[in-house]
Amino acid sequence: MTDQTEKIDLNRRDFLKGGSMAGMMAMMASGATAFKPADANAQSSKPPIGPPVKFGVIGCGYHGRDIVGTLAVLPNAPVVAICDHYGAFLRRTGRSAPEATKYENYKDLLADENVEAVVVATPSHQHKDIVIDALKAGKHVYCEAPIASSIEDARAIALAAKNTPKQYFQAGLQYRSDPQRHFLVDYVRTGAWGHSIFARAQWHKKTSWKRAAPSNEREREINWRLNNETSCGIAGEIGIHLLDANNWFLSGRPSAVSGFGSNLLWKDGRDVPDTAQVTLEYPDGVQSYVDITLCNSFDSEYEMYHGTDSALMVRGSQAWMFKEADAPMLGWEVYAKKDTFHKEVGIYLVANATKLTTVTGSGEEAAKASPFTDTPLWYALEAFVHNAYVHQSGVEDFIASFGDTDDEILGEYLAELEGSKKPAAGYQLGYEANVIAVKAHEATMNNNRIELDDSLFDLG
Amino acid sequence: MIHKLKGLIWNGGLAAMLLTASVSAETVKYRGMFKGSSMKIDGTSTVHDWTVESKLISGNMELEGGFPSDLSLEAVPALSVTPKVNVKVAARSMKSGKPTMDQVMLTAMNADDHPWITYKLTEMTPSKGERKIGDALKYDTKGELTVSGVKKEISMPVNISPTDKGLKVAGKVIIKMSDHGIKAPAPKIALGLITTGDEVSLSFEWFTQKR
Repeated sequence: MTDQTEKIDLNRRDFLKGGSMAGMMAMMASGATAFKPADANAQSSKPPIGPPVKFGVIGCGYHGRDIVGTLAVLPNAPVVAICDHYGAFLRRTGRSAPEATKYENYKDLLADENVEAVVVATPSHQHKDIVIDALKAGKHVYCEAPIASSIEDARAIALAAKNTPKQYFQAGLQYRSDPQRHFLVDYVRTGAWGHSIFARAQWHKKTSWKRAAPSNEREREINWRLNNETSCGIAGEIGIHLLDANNWFLSGRPSAVSGFGSNLLWKDGRDVPDTAQVTLEYPDGVQSYVDITLCNSFDSEYEMYHGTDSALMVRGSQAWMFKEADAPMLGWEVYAKKDTFHKEVGIYLVANATKLTTVTGSGEEAAKASPFTDTPLWYALEAFVHNAYVHQSGVEDFIASFGDTDDEILGEYLAELEGSKKPAAGYQLGYEANVIAVKAHEATMNNNRIELDDSLFDLG
Repeated sequence: MIHKLKGLIWNGGLAAMLLTASVSAETVKYRGMFKGSSMKIDGTSTVHDWTVESKLISGNMELEGGFPSDLSLEAVPALSVTPKVNVKVAARSMKSGKPTMDQVMLTAMNADDHPWITYKLTEMTPSKGERKIGDALKYDTKGELTVSGVKKEISMPVNISPTDKGLKVAGKVIIKMSDHGIKAPAPKIALGLITTGDEVSLSFEWFTQKR
C-alpha cells in the first residue's frame, strides 16, 4: 500500500534536519530537529526500572506501528500481542514484533493472560468499548489522544478508568511526559518570564491526510479522520496536543473557544476543514492561538509562550528564550548558548541547566548536549511502563498487607504513590483535553464561539 | 448454717478469683491500619541524605486484657505476659520519590527473593526513668528484625498511646545495613563515587485497631 502521507513527512523531516531552509528558516533550522527517531542502541543501554510489562497493542495502523517500534526500543516493554482486523496492517506490524501473537479481534487479545497492559491505537471513535473492556479484563491501558471523538465517549472512558482503581490508565497526551517541557513549565512557574500574555502554537504540513486503500469500503474505513461523524478533525486529532500544552503552560482551563475552519485545498469529499484556527480564552484576558493546516508546510510545528519579560519558543526537544530589553538580568544567560533567529537572539533553554555553560557550537551540537532528546512518544510510553509497574506493585502490596476489601482505601494508598510515578496524563487530564478538542472542532465546523462551562469538565 | 455460709463465701471468693484470673488471661487483639501508619528509613551518602518511606505496615498485636491505656498513670505497670507482636512491610513499598533510587535500594535488599521486612517482638518491659503524666507509655523492647532474609535481634524503645480505634505504636532505632547482609549501595552513576553510609535510622508510627 502506498503511504503518501508518511513519505511527505519523512522528506520534510530530512529536509529540516539538513538545515537547508532558505532565508529566515536557514537560521531556524538548528531548532527543527523535532521528533528525533529513537535510537535503538542508545535506549536499550538504559537500565530498566522494574520488571518488564508485557504489552498488547490494539490498532496496527500508522500510529500503532510507530508505537510498536517505540516499545521495541524500550528496555522493559515486550510486545507479546498485536491486534487489527485488517490483515495487511497486522502482518506489517508483526515484522516489528515477530514474537507477538496476532489477533484479529481485540476481545481475544484481552483474554490473553500473557498481556498485562494494552495500548489502544485504533481510530478515536472506536476507543470507548475497547478501553472499557480492557479495564474490565484487568489490563492497564494507554489510550491514544484524543481518547475519544465525542465528549460522551470520553466521559465514559474517564469514568471507567476512575472506577477501576486497580488498573493504571494513561491518556496519550505525550507532552505531559516530556522532560524538556516539564523543565520549561517549571521555568515559567518561577515567574522569570514575567506574567503570561498569550500562547501560540502551529502545526503546518502539506499533506492530504488521506490514505489510499485497495477498495472503496476500506478507503472509507481508513480515512475516518476525514469524516465528521467519526473524527474531531484537525483541531481535535492534531490540535489536542497543542491546545493541551497551552493549557498546561498557562496553568488554566479555558472559559471559551472560538474556531474558524475552511477547506482550502483538499476538495476530495471530506467534510472536515483542512485549515483551522482556534482561540482559547483564559481568565484576565489571556488567550492562546493555535493554527493548523494541511495546505502549507512553512515553519512546521512549534509553540510560543509570551510573557511580559520574555518569550519562549519550543521546537521538538529544544527551546529558546527571547528576552525583552527591559527584563531583569537572570545572570546565567550571559554564558548560555545563543542562536540568532532573523533579528532576534534566542537564549538556549535546555533541561539540566548545569550544562548550559558547556553548550557551544551549532544548534545541532547543542541539541546533542541535552539529556532529553528522545521523542515525546518515547517518554510517554516509558512513563507508562514505569507507572504501570508502580501501580500494579502497589495494588499487590496493599492487598497482601490488608486484604482485598476496600477500593476506597486502596485508592488512597495509590494516590500516595503518585510521587513515585513519572509525569503523565491520567484520565482527568485526558478527559479535560478531550472536551476542549471536541469543542474546538465544533467551533471550526461552525465558525463560532462556544462557552466552556465548568460543568463540561466535571466527570461526576 | 454459718458453716454453709462460710462455704458459700469461700466458694464465691474462689469463683471470683478464678473469674479475675480468667479476665487477666484474656487478650485483646489489634491489627495494623493503613490510615496514618508510616515507616521511614533515613540514611546518608557521600552526596546527600536520603529517606525512603512506606505507608503499608501490616501485622497483628495481642496484648493482655489489663494492658494499660491510661496516660494519666504515674508509673507504667509491668506486664505479666509478653505481648505477641508480628509486623510486616513490603520491601518494594519503601519509596524515595526517585524511581532510580528505589531500584537501587530494592536491588541492594534483594527484594525479589525477600519481599518482606518483618519484625517479631520477643521482650517488652516498662522503661525506667521518670514518667510525665500524659506522655505516651514508654517501653523497652527486644525483637527480631528480618531484612533481606537476614534476622537480627534489635533493642528499641517504643511509645504506645491510645487512639479512638486502638493503639498507636511509635519507635526509632539505628541499624546497620551490613547486619542484614546488605552491601551499602554504590550506584553506577557518577562513576561509582556515590556511596551510602552503613548506619540507617528506622522509625515508624503504627496505627492499629481492635479486632
